[in-house]
Amino acid sequence: MTLLEVEDLHTHFISRDIDNRVRIAKALNGVSFSLQAGRILGIVGETGAGKSLTAQSVVGLLRPPARIVAGSVRFEGRELTTMPPEDLNRIRGAEIAMVVQNPRTSLDPLTRVGDQLVRLHQIHSGGSLEMSRKRALEMMEAVGIPAPESRAKSWPHELSGGMAQRVLLAMALMNGPKLLIADEPTTGLDVTVQAQILDLLRDLVARFNMATMIITHDLGVVAHFCDDIAVMFGGSIVESGPVADVFAAPVHPYTRNLIGATPEQFQKGRARTLGGQPPDLYNLPPGCALQSRCEFATELCRTPVPNKEIAPTHFALCHFAGTLDEMKPKEARA
Amino acid sequence: MSDAASNDVIDQVERSRSSKIWNRFVGILRLSPTAAVGLMIILFFALLAIFAPWIMPHDPVAAYTDRVLQAPSAEHWFGTDGNGMDVFSRVIYGAKFGFGIAIPAVLISLLIGVPVGLIAGYRGGLLDEVLMRFFDGLRVFPSIILALAVVAATGQSLLNVVLVLGLLDSPVFARVVRAEVLALRSSNFVESAIAAGNPTWRILFVHLLPNAIQGAMAQTAVRAAWAVRISATLAFLGVGIQAPTPEWGAMIRQGAEFMVSGQWWVGLYPGLALIFLVFGLNLFGDGLQDLMDPRRRTAK
Amino acid sequence: MSFHRFLLRRAFMVLPLLIGVVFITFMLVRIGGLDPVGRLAGPTATQAEFDSIRENLGLDQPLWQQFGIYLGNVVQGDLGESWLSNRPVMTDIKERAMISLELLFWGVGIGALIGVPVGLRAAFRPNGKFDQVTRVLSLLGFSIPTYWLALVMIFVFFYLLGWAPPAIGRMSLLVSPPEMITGSYLIDGLLTANWEAAWSSASHLVLPVICLAIVSAAPIIKQTRAIAIEVLASDTVRYAQACGLPEKNVRKLVLRNSAVPVLTFVGTEVTGLVGTMSLIEYVFAWGGLGQYGLNAIISGDFTAVQGYVLVLALFSVLVFVIIDIIVHLIEPRSELN
Repeated sequence: MTLLEVEDLHTHFISRDIDNRVRIAKALNGVSFSLQAGRILGIVGETGAGKSLTAQSVVGLLRPPARIVAGSVRFEGRELTTMPPEDLNRIRGAEIAMVVQNPRTSLDPLTRVGDQLVRLHQIHSGGSLEMSRKRALEMMEAVGIPAPESRAKSWPHELSGGMAQRVLLAMALMNGPKLLIADEPTTGLDVTVQAQILDLLRDLVARFNMATMIITHDLGVVAHFCDDIAVMFGGSIVESGPVADVFAAPVHPYTRNLIGATPEQFQKGRARTLGGQPPDLYNLPPGCALQSRCEFATELCRTPVPNKEIAPTHFALCHFAGTLDEMKPKEARA
Repeated sequence: MSDAASNDVIDQVERSRSSKIWNRFVGILRLSPTAAVGLMIILFFALLAIFAPWIMPHDPVAAYTDRVLQAPSAEHWFGTDGNGMDVFSRVIYGAKFGFGIAIPAVLISLLIGVPVGLIAGYRGGLLDEVLMRFFDGLRVFPSIILALAVVAATGQSLLNVVLVLGLLDSPVFARVVRAEVLALRSSNFVESAIAAGNPTWRILFVHLLPNAIQGAMAQTAVRAAWAVRISATLAFLGVGIQAPTPEWGAMIRQGAEFMVSGQWWVGLYPGLALIFLVFGLNLFGDGLQDLMDPRRRTAK
Repeated sequence: MSFHRFLLRRAFMVLPLLIGVVFITFMLVRIGGLDPVGRLAGPTATQAEFDSIRENLGLDQPLWQQFGIYLGNVVQGDLGESWLSNRPVMTDIKERAMISLELLFWGVGIGALIGVPVGLRAAFRPNGKFDQVTRVLSLLGFSIPTYWLALVMIFVFFYLLGWAPPAIGRMSLLVSPPEMITGSYLIDGLLTANWEAAWSSASHLVLPVICLAIVSAAPIIKQTRAIAIEVLASDTVRYAQACGLPEKNVRKLVLRNSAVPVLTFVGTEVTGLVGTMSLIEYVFAWGGLGQYGLNAIISGDFTAVQGYVLVLALFSVLVFVIIDIIVHLIEPRSELN
């Protein structure tokens, strides 16, 4: 069942610089995807590709000068981009929950952990304090926090990174969310703790049948814990589909370099050279944002790029999707 | 705002060179109206100070003994004071003192504070510790009282006032520069400069200074405002500048006795001028800080 | 860490600062080469008298020895004798301390009570109408010379409107001061049911307090706004918003997280405000420590100046320490809890 439908989302940063010129950074350019209950979508991309911004745009947490200039975000059929802030607030933290980076600084440093869980529950679900306390303990257990009774009395700064992240997960679960958005949930954590948190996450998603979106720059996370993948670059999703399919046969030049799974490339012994400067969002070239870095770029790439269907659920944003193996790459760019 | 509309706006911007300057001005005005307005006020007073001899209707120290303590009139726009001198002319002339004290004082503060901050930040160690502790020690003294005590003790001349103010304000710059240096010291370009064998003085002045001085620059207007204020306060208390010098603080001093008996103009106008200039300096300084720290800006 | 150990640690850290402060004060009156001997001896003194006075004051000894003696004296509460009043400086100061404290308390208290909410409100709607007006007003507050404001207020409210009493001190000359309990006419008047004295005292307090409140509020507004804006941009607030916390709760969150930085700031402001207060006392002939000190500086009363500056500095240090302790008591992150 489709819980979230994002269609052709455009988010721009509009400001004036010191020379009184209007400057527009086109940070999201026609982002479309959907989230199904019980499935985990992993959004990957380099820094600045627009991953976090997508999440912020979806839940309405954009701050000036960023704003949504076009597109629609439908949650259970309700349009979020035009919803008044008070209604959005009621959805956030309840039906749509977020888990963020930096758990230790995100929790309120002046309130005990247990009280924060209770507070969140009281705001969205109401009911008696007793009930909220009970649920807080239940959720802390569900996320694997040992000795929840005494942990609830801790202050956020007393928690380790992993423990704090579990608290954030508990916070997210307090009001029985249908949709979970996790923005870099494991960045900054120890490798072993990362694995634990992700296992926990996958377990919770299955248990509560939540539609889930994980934002990360770590391909390994997506490969091991996600059902679907969406690769972002320059504010667009350049390739999307089930993880198995995309990893087995990546079609977009960017993804291919990211995953590097084509046997031919290995045999030729060519080094992966799709690194380079991130695209200048203030001056995006017409057509494909990857042109300046792509070894297969031609004149055609300056025209609007079609989202080609490779398979029923596998899409790629490229003129040459599916035909790259027949093409000759240009000289590797410096 | 659709794509087409924003492109239009951008197209309109490809213009001739002269509008570029206008646009820079409007750009600054939009980003920080406070800086622009502050600058205009400062320029206004600067013009007053420079062109005073031509603007003043009367000689600022000419005493018309037949017209003592006259209310504002057509002949004397701001009235006359206890000595029969024209308040309006004196207020205009006072602008000279404002700049004459503030500019050298701030320069002295920079000349002392910036090198001290550079060295303390770069060298660290005992020198840094001692200096910082000393500056911290100074902070528990109210600056007005400190300035007052030192000027009173060292002799009451204009030069002294400038020197003391310059000296007392240097810790501010030292601290700002030191903070910047500390942040930059471990950065890549400094480390490579050291590795390349640059002598210390070169690293300090060629590499660190241009970067570290930004913060100090933002402070100059605010410190200038402080200098103008404090020098006027000193004059008001009769320290450093004596009557019948047409300095605003000294004029308020004289005006004080008349204020309570109804001759308000003697003390009011110099005060207004003082407020206006200090306000302009503060506005400008505040606006500069806004411009330099992108976080404080909220573009529309 | 227990509270006792904490206090001990703090006392230990503050000690060098205290000694430094005494040293700076000691040097302060000596930098100009101001010769107190000439003052005390008078214009007709002979060389012998000069020398004997010099010896009396210990000014013939090496500097570090003088400092040692001075430090010893200070610790015992002996701040020398004022040549203006011919009394021990300590006595002069003790008499006047409470008077200034009263003014400071009301002035800064009201200034903060106004300043903090205004600064917060401005931060919640940055660049809105309220914010812009507030910023201009607070910058204006920075720019108004306190003594001029005092004079103008006296002119308007006393001379023109007749609402305020004449600026000749804390109480009308026609009313006899109440029995001395705390040293504050207002409090003592209330405590002893001396309504006439209490009223007179209160009416005299109004103008200077308003003056001080206005000048105190300006920096408080500016800094509170800056602090609140930073808190609003912090991870904590962003996460709270991501959790759908309503505006009301977000404001409370910002308030609580701004409390400590704002409190610390107000503490540092007190130092400067004490100086400003002295000017207000001077204009209103308040008879407090500030007026005493300013007069001492202007007339070159060397020992009185030393005592005055020292007491001011020590007061600032005390304020810092008290605020530091309060902060550590509130903050769950401190080592105290």
